[in-house]
Amino acid sequence: MPSLTVTLTRLRFRLAEFSEVVALISFLAVFLFFVTAAENFLTPVCIANILTFASITGIVVVGVAMLMISGEFDLSVGSTFAVASYVFALSLNAGVAPLAALLLALLVSAVLGLGNGLIVTWSGIPSFITTLGTMLAYRGIARAIGGGDFAYYTGEKPLLFDVLNGPITALNQLSHPPSNFRVSILWFIAIAIVMSLVLMRTRYGNWVFATGGNPGAALAQGVAVKRVKVINFVLAGLLAGVASVMQFAHRTSVDPLRGEGMELVAVAAAVIGGVRLTGGFGTIVGASVGMVLLTMLEQGLVLMKIPVQIFRAVAGAILILSVIANTYISRRE
Amino acid sequence: MSTIGHEDTPVVHMENIVKRFGTITALDGVDFTVDKQQVMALVGDNGAGKSTLIKILTGVHRPDRGQIYFEGQPVQIQSPREARALGIETCYQDLALVNLMSISRNFFLGRELARRLGPVNWLDMREMSTLTRTSLADVGINIRSPSQRVGELSGGERQSIAIGRAMHFGAKLLILDEPTSALSVAETRKVLTYTLNAKERGLSVIFISHNVRHVYQVADAYTILRHGRKVGTYAKGELTEDDIADLITGERER
Repeated sequence: MPSLTVTLTRLRFRLAEFSEVVALISFLAVFLFFVTAAENFLTPVCIANILTFASITGIVVVGVAMLMISGEFDLSVGSTFAVASYVFALSLNAGVAPLAALLLALLVSAVLGLGNGLIVTWSGIPSFITTLGTMLAYRGIARAIGGGDFAYYTGEKPLLFDVLNGPITALNQLSHPPSNFRVSILWFIAIAIVMSLVLMRTRYGNWVFATGGNPGAALAQGVAVKRVKVINFVLAGLLAGVASVMQFAHRTSVDPLRGEGMELVAVAAAVIGGVRLTGGFGTIVGASVGMVLLTMLEQGLVLMKIPVQIFRAVAGAILILSVIANTYISRRE
Repeated sequence: MSTIGHEDTPVVHMENIVKRFGTITALDGVDFTVDKQQVMALVGDNGAGKSTLIKILTGVHRPDRGQIYFEGQPVQIQSPREARALGIETCYQDLALVNLMSISRNFFLGRELARRLGPVNWLDMREMSTLTRTSLADVGINIRSPSQRVGELSGGERQSIAIGRAMHFGAKLLILDEPTSALSVAETRKVLTYTLNAKERGLSVIFISHNVRHVYQVADAYTILRHGRKVGTYAKGELTEDDIADLITGERER
């Protein structure tokens, strides 16, 4: 008979195979806490708010997580997010067709991501520093093209806005008072599933893990390490743009501070979700759960009428505890 | 070099290789030849130029001067991928496997079995697992599970898998970079056995080491480098272990 310690150690090793296990356990814990402690938490209105808020940053998280698994950071996604909204808003106001404005905003986001990728792979400067620089630079671009002021879209809402992020009316009217489920939730789920499949089940995904896990070994086996990194930077920029135009389709305005701090929330969500800061390990599912967890925390605390400043402290504590837990279960003795 | 395919054509012949990094001359006109089914030891102290020479052969670095012949044909090796296409497989000391990935994902890294579906290459996970297990068993390596993470294995097991992988993928020339430097005695013995297995299967092997004792047990010949120059190439039996050690350190000139 193996002793209890041996059994527990084996269980720990089993758990370590699933990088999202800590995220799922913390998710359940926080969820159950609010179900019992916060009034009106388990209501359609509250669930809808959580998912709607989480979906926008969640789409950014998917790109950031993919990039982190390949061993790089992108601190500029928040600034890219702002640039994309301004490009979208100003093109629409200039009379560009909605679909063309959308494609232009996404193209610009992808190009900003490409910029990050090329600087990092060509210069060899750590992406943390590179994207800290482009975070400032891209923010400057957003301010410049927006004249440092808000941009609004005041015209008739085109159909595209509903496709991007309209309310899911049929679902919303099932509850009283009506809730606010939005299409961005469906986009978030779809994007997370697709990218999850890419990561876990395709050759490219295998290369992403190898690039982050041991770039030298990957290169020696013929993996185009730099190309993988550049593609993931483009993806991170592009998904920041996608999230941005979705949010704009809902709010129809953008301010110069839009997306500020989003880069750190995204990294926090990914890390809570089991993505390693050093790369080579993690899942899209885990990172997405991490994002929903953070949003649930914020909304739950609001419901409990706890000052929103406390949210940051609690989020920070959960982040650190998750890393400790992840490090503990993946220990090899 | 018109003896293409002839039995006596060396697998690889590197001629007058020069490589500079800035002002440092890492290799200064080195000739290096490996015959068919030969275990060639490449020995030298740290900084002698062993790694640089191998990295040129595997397409990691480009030589500033010199020519490489592979099976008698002049070749330009521009990338690790091209080296592999020629049949040159390398097991780097630290760069062989990705510890966070499973054995089967490592085994097929860069050569994944995939089904093409539009623009997407879907991994054939089941086939890769099966093949990993059977082909490693073929070369005498038994693993518990192909889905086990490489980081959970011992140093010897990892080295064996890297060697098994190279053998499976039909390498003609197997390069082992310090394969025994971090291993226990028992594990070292295993790796030396795999090396001889590879030779029996018709491969040529370049065995890089600064442990003269390990090299001495498996090598058919030795090439000794010092300060970026070749000291010489010697057949087995021509030198004692002590001779080799002296030539590596330069305590004795020959």
